[in-house]
Amino acid sequence: MGKSKILSLILRNLISKPATIQYPREKPWVEPDFRGRQYSDLQKCIGCGLCRIECPADAIAMKKIPGEYEVPKKNARRLFPVIDYMKCVYCYRCVTVCPVRAFTTTNYFELADTQHITSEELSLSTLKKKAEG
Amino acid sequence: MQGCRAVAIDKVIEVPYALEIPVGPQHPALHEPILLKAYADGEEVVKVEVHTGYNHRGIEKLAEKNSFYRDIFIVSRVCGICNGVHANCFVRAVEQILGIEPSPRAKYLRVLAMELERMHSHMLINAVMAEIIGFDSLFMNIMRDREYIMKSKEIVTGNRVSADYMIFGGVRRDLSSDKIDKLRKLIDRVIPRIKYYKKLFMEDETILKRLVDVGVVKPSEATLYGLLGPVARASGVKIDARASDKYDAYGEIPFNVIVRNECDAWARMMVRWDEALESAKIIKYVLDHLPQDGKAVPDERRLPRRFPPGEAYTRVEAPRGELIYYVMSDGKPMPYRVKIRTPSVHNILNTAKFYIGYSIADLPVILTSWDPCISCMERLTIIDLRTGERRKVPMKELAGGGKKWVNPRYSL
Amino acid sequence: MIEEINELVKEGLLKEVGTIKPNRELYEFSHERIREIFKQLLERLGEKGFYLATIVGTDILKDKKIRLDYYVVVLPEETTIVLRTYVDRDNPEINSILDLIPAALAPECEIHDLLGVVFKGNPALRRPFFVPEELVEKGIYPLRKDARV
Repeated sequence: MGKSKILSLILRNLISKPATIQYPREKPWVEPDFRGRQYSDLQKCIGCGLCRIECPADAIAMKKIPGEYEVPKKNARRLFPVIDYMKCVYCYRCVTVCPVRAFTTTNYFELADTQHITSEELSLSTLKKKAEG
Repeated sequence: MQGCRAVAIDKVIEVPYALEIPVGPQHPALHEPILLKAYADGEEVVKVEVHTGYNHRGIEKLAEKNSFYRDIFIVSRVCGICNGVHANCFVRAVEQILGIEPSPRAKYLRVLAMELERMHSHMLINAVMAEIIGFDSLFMNIMRDREYIMKSKEIVTGNRVSADYMIFGGVRRDLSSDKIDKLRKLIDRVIPRIKYYKKLFMEDETILKRLVDVGVVKPSEATLYGLLGPVARASGVKIDARASDKYDAYGEIPFNVIVRNECDAWARMMVRWDEALESAKIIKYVLDHLPQDGKAVPDERRLPRRFPPGEAYTRVEAPRGELIYYVMSDGKPMPYRVKIRTPSVHNILNTAKFYIGYSIADLPVILTSWDPCISCMERLTIIDLRTGERRKVPMKELAGGGKKWVNPRYSL
Repeated sequence: MIEEINELVKEGLLKEVGTIKPNRELYEFSHERIREIFKQLLERLGEKGFYLATIVGTDILKDKKIRLDYYVVVLPEETTIVLRTYVDRDNPEINSILDLIPAALAPECEIHDLLGVVFKGNPALRRPFFVPEELVEKGIYPLRKDARV
């Protein structure tokens, strides 16, 4: 009979470890190549804007790099892509279409964040500031 | 007897012939917006009207206004559960227009991703069905085992739900041999569980009492009303786009088309369990026979930028039935027309007749047995892809019962 | 090639035009004869012999026409054939086949809502079906090429 079978399963579940994890305290195992937060490495970026054109969610805007940063010569227009993580759908089209493979990918998935709403800070952290004076 | 007098009838109380019962638009069985207006005479349903339009996102118009490349990702947001088949169908239509063909390895990998999707979709709807008939412990057990499939999907495509796996001329990431080993282990763990659940659906009294002889669809009705997928196959109509169109690698992979003749809700659920087992077989075959020749992942920077004029009409067997894409190009970078016909359109809208004669309590059971996917059906206006995606993913979370999910006692 | 369809071509109801990729036979017919054609199909193939997969409506702005493609899947081989017709864009009217084939309900309602084609004899046509009410009040058919949504 089916009934007694499911009953034994339920009883076994009752004494076994829970299948769920206590998420914020315990982290789930995520594959290393999970499509998580990505940002552009400005040492490689040439500011062409192809990622902005190709983004299916219109999540990328091209911004001017602030004057205090040293920018590689190949990025003559001093532009860089800023990804709005709240709009991004994490399809990684920008990563694969980039002509210089400038995007750094991570498997970071905890995106409900008050600090990194866009990729601006992460991208700029790849650049050095100009020496004072 | 004293006091017993004959009373002349001087008043007639008219009882309304039918009582109007709205089922939905919030959570009619499934946790998606649709309104079934049921008219009941006592307990018996006499008429059902299906009301739609709560969630139309206009993806067809949106696809006309975006380039072919952006459309791949837009159409895969039509539905969260079956995003891979949507992308596959669109990609193959455009490949027909372009005249390119993916390598054999890419074709096998596409099949792998789509079959994983079929497995978790069928497990989900069976779990929801268990919940609808009040069998919550079964629901939770199925959902727990479904996590193995979600994990395999994460290994293959890089995300649990939104695969974004298809691109013109191939797939977007390759499979290394250690990943194949991991997948084998996960699939081997799931197969005995599915067999167990299938047996449970065959033997358990609660399930049999609720499902058998409910929502009967005759074979001739299935074709006349254009019902598709497991619904048609449970009524003895052998239609399967995998077997007839032999797209991607399905021509080389041996598999059975599951057909049952019971025609009721129970048969539809059983077809889904059998298909999940069949999918597991296909997945194991793919893992064993993955061709080594050819590059599976094309360089997306070198894919064609010009699209010749032409039209293509492709069919895919999605978990819920035959999915159709019609793509017309007029030589511009954007498609002239993209028509999406999902199986749910037919399986939800055309089935209003089949509720009649059953009791109100059977209504959610019958609705669930179609495996309805409202997000597949309605595609219009707001272009917020973010919410478009998020809306569908929670279906499985919500199906866990909103309150139970946050209740700390649940984990005790 | 399906014999029954061949017979219809010989009788002049359908006209062979070519194929749609991949290998879908394409036939044209004039829109007045739609009911005749589907009656013939029902008679010759039987109720279980085919199903209507979908109707695709396309606005062809430069010809001032709306194109309707009826996709029919013939069982048991599941061969898809396409029956194509054109209706006038300014006065888009065609007879409904809902009473012959109930499967036409979903596509006919959808095309009426999105393109404004009137299927004569279909009692279920209504707006809004999918489209939000603001658009219905303005009389906009979203899938027409000149519609701004």
